[in-house]
Amino acid sequence: MTGNKAGKVKPFMVFFLLPSILIYTGFLLLPILDSMRLSFYSGSGLIPDKFVGFDNYVKLFTRFPFKNRMLNAFSNNIKFFFIVTLIQNIFGFFIAFFVTRKIIGKGFFRKISFLPTTLSVLVVGFLFKLILNPVWGIFDKMLAAVGLDELIRPWLGDPLTALPVLAIVVSWQFMGESVLFYTAGIDAIPEEVTEAALIDGATPLQELWYIILPSILPIIGIVTILIFIGDFTQFDIVYAMSTTMANPAYGTDLFGSLFYRTAFSTPVRGGWGMGMGAAVSTVMFVIVFTGVMVWLYFFKLKEKKND
Amino acid sequence: MIKRISVLLVVLLVFGTFTLSAGGNKEAAADGKVQITFTSWRTEDIERMNRINAVFMEKNPNIEVLFQPINDNEYDAQMRAGLETGTGADIIFLRSYDTGRIVYDGGSIYELNKDLPNLEGFPSAAVKAWSTEDGKIYAVPSVGVTHGVYYHKDIFDKYGLKEPETWDEFIAVAQTLKDNGEVVFAQGALDDWTSYEVVFSGLGPNFYGGEESRQKLITGEMKLTDKPFLDAFRAVDQLQQFFPKGYEALDYVSMQTMFGTGQAAMFMGGSWELGILEDLGSTDLGWFAPPVKEKGDTLQYCFHVDAGIALNKNSEHLPEALEYIKWVSSPEYAQLLMNELPGFFSYTPGDYPLTNAIAKEMIGAASDAVLTVRTVWEKMSAQSPSGNALMGEALQKMWKDEFTPEEAASFVQDGLATWYKPFMK
Amino acid sequence: MTKHIFKRRFTNTILFAFLSLYAVSILYPIILMFLTSFKTTREIFTNPFGLPASFEFTSYIKLLTVSNYLTYFRNSIFVTIISLGTIIVITSTASFVLAKYNFKWKNFLYLFFVAGMIIPIRLGTISILKLMIGMHANDTLFSVIIVGIAVGIPFGIFILTDFIKMIPEELSAAARIDGCSEPAIFRIVVIPLLRPALAAVAIINYIPIWNDFWFPLVFLKSDSVKTVPLATALLFGQYQTNYALVFAVLSMASIPVMLFYIIFSKYFVQGLSSGALKG
Repeated sequence: MTGNKAGKVKPFMVFFLLPSILIYTGFLLLPILDSMRLSFYSGSGLIPDKFVGFDNYVKLFTRFPFKNRMLNAFSNNIKFFFIVTLIQNIFGFFIAFFVTRKIIGKGFFRKISFLPTTLSVLVVGFLFKLILNPVWGIFDKMLAAVGLDELIRPWLGDPLTALPVLAIVVSWQFMGESVLFYTAGIDAIPEEVTEAALIDGATPLQELWYIILPSILPIIGIVTILIFIGDFTQFDIVYAMSTTMANPAYGTDLFGSLFYRTAFSTPVRGGWGMGMGAAVSTVMFVIVFTGVMVWLYFFKLKEKKND
Repeated sequence: MIKRISVLLVVLLVFGTFTLSAGGNKEAAADGKVQITFTSWRTEDIERMNRINAVFMEKNPNIEVLFQPINDNEYDAQMRAGLETGTGADIIFLRSYDTGRIVYDGGSIYELNKDLPNLEGFPSAAVKAWSTEDGKIYAVPSVGVTHGVYYHKDIFDKYGLKEPETWDEFIAVAQTLKDNGEVVFAQGALDDWTSYEVVFSGLGPNFYGGEESRQKLITGEMKLTDKPFLDAFRAVDQLQQFFPKGYEALDYVSMQTMFGTGQAAMFMGGSWELGILEDLGSTDLGWFAPPVKEKGDTLQYCFHVDAGIALNKNSEHLPEALEYIKWVSSPEYAQLLMNELPGFFSYTPGDYPLTNAIAKEMIGAASDAVLTVRTVWEKMSAQSPSGNALMGEALQKMWKDEFTPEEAASFVQDGLATWYKPFMK
Repeated sequence: MTKHIFKRRFTNTILFAFLSLYAVSILYPIILMFLTSFKTTREIFTNPFGLPASFEFTSYIKLLTVSNYLTYFRNSIFVTIISLGTIIVITSTASFVLAKYNFKWKNFLYLFFVAGMIIPIRLGTISILKLMIGMHANDTLFSVIIVGIAVGIPFGIFILTDFIKMIPEELSAAARIDGCSEPAIFRIVVIPLLRPALAAVAIINYIPIWNDFWFPLVFLKSDSVKTVPLATALLFGQYQTNYALVFAVLSMASIPVMLFYIIFSKYFVQGLSSGALKG
């Protein structure tokens, strides 16, 4: 991989690199830094223009209803992340394990598992909202048809069920991603290793525990961090299934929907102004950044040590 | 395979660019027509508004009006962003009082006093909702809406029920229906705004003393925790027992569909829903005004100043847009609107024969009533946390038994007291 | 031994049953969406589970005639193609330099780009909006396109740099002896070998760009620039009481991506897995 003429930057290299650098910096990196700057401003216009120091943060962390909404979104987001991670990792792993066995139609199952992931979250959210409608939704009718009327609940109206339902819908949609990653991981295990183990008389369970699991540990990490980043900026599913008001009574509010509502809605619809919105997005950045650092520490550094 | 993909991509690219240049450009009206865009929060009305606008376009063949509404929840933010960035529509729906005022203060709304002198003849209560203290009018007061209770005559007839006048009769009717196993109300608690804007603001004034108490609330002479307002909270809470199974998850549209298709006996709704309910196939629709507390009480009627129509100062086609907004303030538009959208009541002075019997009843109820608007709309929803948002949340929680009526009232009172000066004392 | 085989068959049957159940849970809602869009509203209430009595295309016809659906579709295609095309061109040139040459800031630059994979661009929305207003690009397709490109750059560079590193140095050396300039080496030697990786980059970015709802929601207002997801939200609000039509709206938004996936699923899997294994 050594370059031919070390050290020297030629004009064409600048030319080749520049478009990426400019667009990436100008439309991704700088805006994020600039949003943090805007969190110290306030104003009723589209762009906050009055410097207010830490006022927005003081409001956000100490005053009703700002503090309550943020803590609510934080705890909802943790629950949401927890449910999605659990479902996607456990189910995803087992499905991947199954489709790498010698089973009829495994190619079909692999293919089909990714199908929902290609749809937009918006479409999936709307679809399940219709399916779960308390009056003519198919889901309750199905429960009734098999004699499980007892279980029928106001799925999207009860704060106890609404958030888990959203989490399950998201897991349903993105299960394909975990399956795909785990399948890739299991496929990458050299065949000699598994064959040797089988000859030594290992049961499938032993194979799973001693061979497959250790080798896909880094992938569990990747899947989890992807879910983490996605969930702490998740907006579309809340928009589609619970509107920007995160019904019922902010019961499904996540950071993504909180950010949208505070920044882009009027006070009548729960908006707080752009400056407060920027403060919310900065808090989100800190959370995501911390999460990623923790992940790097545990998965990446450990990996290095093991090498 | 890769080759095929590349070919496909190229073909799509050519197709995409070609078609985009052909039709994507807003200004490229081939026949020399000037296009003006009209935005509102009423996505339900596209087809009806297109029919109304067709009349205008026939008279003004050089102008094409495009009606492009935005979903209600996002409307204000999107419309404001559009205006402030110079990309907004030419003609815009503007909410009354502070929410509309903020937009005007943003500096992109055209003042109408000079060009539309006829606005002075509009009802002053309506003009006030879209004008400044020194009399600058920034929107044509277009429509007002009322609130009441819809019912299915067939279901009422089945049990020999009459339209209730008082609250006790109302509860008795509901009880009879419930005892007979009917679904009483097509009412849900998912979209919190309906519980406040329709049910509390519509049925509450008879308990809290209507407009007089609302004015005292604005000045801080009364509080939401005072007995009259508490009574309104309690009355609204009383209705919960008659809600259908799964009401917690019933959203606004499902409520309409449920009632419109005859699956519930009553529906507390707004006059603007009349057309939708009829479209859903209700032929035995009846309506009565919010029941009063005691027999003989004067009806305190929530006739809300709903929508004004404003003009974008920075419109690229100002003369044409002005032409259109003049038409909007004319009796012709008023008549067309009330025929196409029964339940929307125009403020344009004039005598309009209403074709819809229920719309007639709704406007008739106003004749011997004291009119008011939604409880915490004026002044109390200008900042965060807004009265609107607090009321919605409080009522939603009250209907799910997380709050008692007392807790709901003090939740809103305390929330407003964080910024609303008259409450801070 | 036979006992062993029998046991394995038995477990495989159970696994097959489990996977079939999973497949049904995936396919049923999707099929339901398509089937319902062909029913009449009455039928949706009276016969929610079964096949439609007759396949009614009325909802689709209505959708195409009363809304500007073709415009939305065209906008989405335009945004997707321009974004993907640009991502491919600019990330492949950048990756070529990062993979084949040594210079002072090289490693920093690579990390600088790759770090973007874990930065959610949504957090910069307010500032990007400000930027677009300043550039008078608000409410234009450009705003959505440029953001789509910015998001695609980190992953593109991540995949392509690795791939170009694997191209043997001897090939470039030989071309150099033949008198090729460095940019010509990129064009003649690297690009042809890079095609599978380019396809992977395009395909991976296709789904998020086509489905993006957030930025269109913030930036786009005029009907003439709306993309399919934004239009889906609008039409859903507009026709909520017309169930058949709503299902047609959802189906229309899903057909392009699903078809694309079914045709190119092999590349999806290759592209995404390579990302997973290297990460």
